[in-house]
Formats: sequence, C-alpha cells, structure tokens
Amino acid sequence: MPEGFAVQFAASFAAVAVLVGLAAWARIAKPMTPLDDARVLKLLAEEFPGRPIERVWVAVDGRGALAKSGAAALVLCEVGDGYVARHIPWAQAIASSFRDGVVKLDLSDVAAPNARIALQSWPPPSTPPHNRQAA
Amino acid sequence: MKPVFDPVTLAIPFFILAIILEIVLTRLKVARAHYETRDTMASLAMGLGSNVAGLLTAGVVVAATLWSYQHRLFDIPMTAIWAWVAIFLIEDMIYYWFHRLSHERRFWWAAHVNHHSSQHYNLSTALRQTWTGGIAGTWVLWLPLAFLGFPPAMIAIQKGISLVYQFWIHTEVVGRTPRWFEAVFNTPSHHRVHHARNPRYLDRNYAGILIIWDKLFGTFQPELDEEACRYGIVKNLSGFNVLRVAFHEWIAMAQDVVRHPRHALGYVFGPPGWSHDGSRDTSMTLRAQWRASQSAKHPDAGVAGDPST
Ligand SMILES: [Zn+2]
Ligand SMILES: [Zn+2]
Repeated sequence: MPEGFAVQFAASFAAVAVLVGLAAWARIAKPMTPLDDARVLKLLAEEFPGRPIERVWVAVDGRGALAKSGAAALVLCEVGDGYVARHIPWAQAIASSFRDGVVKLDLSDVAAPNARIALQSWPPPSTPPHNRQAA
Repeated sequence: MKPVFDPVTLAIPFFILAIILEIVLTRLKVARAHYETRDTMASLAMGLGSNVAGLLTAGVVVAATLWSYQHRLFDIPMTAIWAWVAIFLIEDMIYYWFHRLSHERRFWWAAHVNHHSSQHYNLSTALRQTWTGGIAGTWVLWLPLAFLGFPPAMIAIQKGISLVYQFWIHTEVVGRTPRWFEAVFNTPSHHRVHHARNPRYLDRNYAGILIIWDKLFGTFQPELDEEACRYGIVKNLSGFNVLRVAFHEWIAMAQDVVRHPRHALGYVFGPPGWSHDGSRDTSMTLRAQWRASQSAKHPDAGVAGDPST
C-alpha cells in the first residue's frame, strides 16, 4: 500500500469516527414508538400490498409483529429506526421455537437470517396442536 | 486511475463538511434529516472499504484502459472545449446504462445493492459505495471512451466529476430545485425516487448528472407529493454488519445456483427477484401487484404518475 494512500486512509478513518460520533450525539434517528395493531396493519399493507390479513400478533415490547395471511406468516421486525419484513410458511411459523417469551423464526435469508419476536405465548391458542402440521 | 486533478480526492473535505452541516442543522431543527448511528457507520465504512477494494482491481482497469487508448480511433485533444462537452454527454449516458444494468440484472445488482440497502436517505448514504464493482466488471462499459480516443486522464476526471455531483443529491434537506434544473439535471428529488422501494418508484431514475436519459429511455418517474419515498430495498437487511451489506446478494445468488444448478443462468443474469418457479417478486411483478391493488381501490382512475400506465 503506497504511503500516501495509507495516510489518506488513516485520515478518512478518523473522519468516519468523528462523523459517527456526531450522528450519535445528534440523536436524530426516526422516532420509534411501540407498534400497535393499526400501525402494524399499515406497515404490512406497504410491505405486502393487497394481501389479506387474518390476524395480527403484536410483540409485547412493540418491536415486532406476526400476522397470518392464508398459508403465510408475515413477519415484521424492528431494525434500528426502521423495520424489516419477510413472509414464511405459516406451518413453519407455528412450529418455531418459543422460549423465555420469545419466538425465534428462521427466515432462511442471508439478508435477514432470523427474527425474534417477544410474545405472551406461541403458537396461538386458537391453533390446535393437531392442526399445526396441516396448516 | 488517479489523474493529477482528481475531483473525488479534492471533494472529500467538502463531503465531510456537508455531512457535519446536515447533522448539525438537523439537530438545531433548521434542516430535516434522519441519521441512525449504526446505519451511518455502515454507510461510511462501505465508502472507506470501497476505496481499498478499488485498489485490488485498479491495475486491471488501468491496463485495459491504456490498451484501449493505444488502439484508439481518433486523437481527441484534452484541451478542446468540444471534447469536454462530448465526454460529459457520452460518459453520462454510459453511466445511465451502467446503472440500469446494475438494477435490471442480478449479477450486477449484487455489486450495486449495497448502495440501496440503507433505509435512510442522507448525505452519508451517498458514500455507501460498492466493494465488488471491480469484480462485477462494469468498468468495461467505460472502455469505449478510451477506444474512441478520449485520454484516460480525461475519462478519470469526468467519472470523478460525476461521482462528486451525485454526492449532494443524497439528501432530504433540498426539496425541489427550480423547474428548469429539475427538467435537465438529476436532483435530490429525482434521486430520492431512485432510492425508494415503493412499487411505483422501483427501478426508476438511473441518471448520473443529466435526468434527460431517463426521459429519453422511458425510466423517468417524478417524485409525487402524495407518495412519500420509503427508502431501502424490497427485502431490507436485518442488521448493520458491513460484510452482510457488501456480500449478501452474492451469497444469496451462490446459494440459489447451488440449489438449482439447472436454472443457474436465470438466477445469475435474470432480474433481481427472479425465480424458476415464480415464487419470488421482481420489480415488475411488484409494480403489477401494486397497480392491481390501486385499480381495485379506484376502478375508474388511472394510476397518476406511473409512466407504464
Ligand atoms: Zn441504483
Ligand atoms: Zn444513490
């Protein structure tokens, strides 16, 4: 690596540190409020236009949500000051592990490998255990 | 290839100062922008890493450019004004097609997606540059300039001017510029549309400096007051790890090829979102779904501002 480039790189590195520090100090991220049903439905309508939503489960901490749409589970998760959304088979969603009040969903996507959503219980009581595989 | 006059190097202090201003003015409530700390760190780290990654392929790019220039068709003088006007227009059109290819074919999208993977649109997003552009080989598109006879230094300067121009348009602080400017140049408003993931805005406004290419080739979409831009990619990232930002689409593409080798060509050179069984969405299918949902809501109305209606 030429010396000039090394100096330039070091200076740029320092500048990055200053800018990141400034961004942290400024506290100008998008304001995040806990999700509620209405907001979840709005976000899901943006993410999955035209898709009918049968039922929504909002995370107890308001930082995510799950919804049933036919044979699919729509997953919404807080990331920074935004959200990511994915859909997975409903059967997979209800078979996902639920431990310590958190359901861990495998999204099978290198861009978003999994999602953790804090729920009171999972799978929903309205899904009888014998239906889990059939859904 | 860095010429004696390198617009990008000269502009770096301006980039830093502009980001500081955008943050501080927002903090003082004079301007409107959003910065999330980890997102900012990822964007700036991508910019820094892009410089280093560029070095890895710089030798090949320089050699190919010099070879093309040695076999040039004409001798174009670097001192002639007409030559600068010509390279400005031709380079900007090459940029348009490079950018369009980078969105419409997955192999090149894999290198470009990182620029779009922030859910933010601020000046730091401009520096969220590719690490894998050299490997993707899109620099080949600029070789005809050298082959035509434009000196390599002139090409490098013009590419630098384009990159520097495109920095300032990554902001929400500037609303609309005067109409004559919006009509001819790429602006914050036009490029906000380019970074938006709303179906109506997907794969529009590929311009570098001049927006005329989008108008000419049918990809122009104005920003509409009734539809605020939602930034990011169709399937956003679930974190801020720069390695994931830089390589996620390459990895996903490799996984698809390994799982479905018979459909490898489609998974590599098809549009992003293409799948052999139609189980995924491309920009085109997303736009069609959105249009269908709009016409279901308003059966008698066309979809305003959608160039394909
Ligand atoms: Zn782009
Ligand atoms: Zn951009």
